[in-house]
Amino acid sequence: MNEAVEQLYQQRLTRYVRAMRREKPDRVPIRPFVAEFTAKYAGYTIQEVTHDYHKAFAAARKCAADFDWDAVVPNMVYVWTGLVKAVGIKYYACPGIEIPPNTPFQYLEPPDDQAHMRPDEYDELIADPTGYLYNVWLPRVTTEVRAQGETTTYRNNLSFVRGSMAMLSYFQAFGDQIARLRQESGTPSALSGILKAPFDIIADKLRGYRGLCMDMFRQPQKVLAACEALTPHLLHIAASGADPQRNLPVGLWMHRGCVPFLSPDQFAKFYWPTLRQIIEGLWARGIQTLFYAEGEWNANLKYIAELPEGSIVYHIDRGDAFEVHRALGGKFCISGGVPNDLLAFGQPDDVKECVKKLIQTIGRDGGYIVDASAIMQDDTRVENVRALTEAARLYGEY
Amino acid sequence: MPSTDPSNQHSESRQPIAPGVCLPWQVVSREWPKIEGDADLVRRVWEELDSLAYTYIWQCLLSF
Repeated sequence: MNEAVEQLYQQRLTRYVRAMRREKPDRVPIRPFVAEFTAKYAGYTIQEVTHDYHKAFAAARKCAADFDWDAVVPNMVYVWTGLVKAVGIKYYACPGIEIPPNTPFQYLEPPDDQAHMRPDEYDELIADPTGYLYNVWLPRVTTEVRAQGETTTYRNNLSFVRGSMAMLSYFQAFGDQIARLRQESGTPSALSGILKAPFDIIADKLRGYRGLCMDMFRQPQKVLAACEALTPHLLHIAASGADPQRNLPVGLWMHRGCVPFLSPDQFAKFYWPTLRQIIEGLWARGIQTLFYAEGEWNANLKYIAELPEGSIVYHIDRGDAFEVHRALGGKFCISGGVPNDLLAFGQPDDVKECVKKLIQTIGRDGGYIVDASAIMQDDTRVENVRALTEAARLYGEY
Repeated sequence: MPSTDPSNQHSESRQPIAPGVCLPWQVVSREWPKIEGDADLVRRVWEELDSLAYTYIWQCLLSF
């Protein structure tokens, strides 16, 4: 082990964790969610980093080695489309297959009448979510898996073997990737584990957003019961992937809970109670949640402020950063807030000015982590990422 | 789309299936001969491997 690199790792980890605990570290940490940006920077196509996770990992390591960042996600191009095709999953458009090779993967929501879960199937989901996923959902969302009652096929059988072996190899490779980030560039991993809100799971992967909107009016009690049925499973998966050392947060990726997808009243009734229960359940186990508030969530800040102090790191996307700080800064660490359009189309001096302002307001008392608003894709300019990094170091000393 | 075939229902006991479980030990062990030696070891290994099947489907849902 290179002692200097290990020392750097420990310095960065301490800085990152102290900020997440809303303490004042030696300086403001930088934890950029760089996704397809890594391909652009490291000289890969988007198809390469999406379909070959070894190249995605190499790109992430190159960025970590070249930029002075305090933590990174080991692979922010999170959907490995090799596995998607191994299982036969139909709801992604993959670079070079359904879409051009330099276009990031896309999620394809089916038409209302072909939703992955039909409106009369709530009881089946509620009674046994795992059984429903295997017996009904998986056959519907794949080209390979046959439904119960249908004749099984060679391709059906292969899908499970190929898919599970692919998943095993992918998840195991993260251990080596995290070790290499530590040993080669002294960079800690930013997250451990995954969480989504029960409502988002139903909206994204089961009923579809439009179908779920209908259900909120036509069968609201079923929607609520389905959210409750999914809750212990999503808590279990999140907790089982969490950092055993309890340093790193679980990533919570939120999609359909904010305005204009849901009104604040609908958020309070349908989205929030079960998500809150999961976050509090994780916190009871000593696990923080990275609350990735994709979109504009400021209408819901009063609910989020009810969470236990320190239980989340609130990540700002399109919400007014200073309003977020006023509402939540006294309870939670805040990250993000550098607009992606500025990073894609702005000038380095403008990026530096934005980072300076965020650090000197939101970050003045600690508890702030520099990052873009949303994940950085291939439209992000390299010189602007350099400017973000330089400004964070220049203005981020406490 | 046919609904879940009752013959394949793993919730034979009509009890909710706990998180982390696909085919409960209580169900599968009834189909096996009486276990001799370390029955707890056999149960533990079954549950560990069954939890991988659980992880597979829930990670398909969450991560992919």
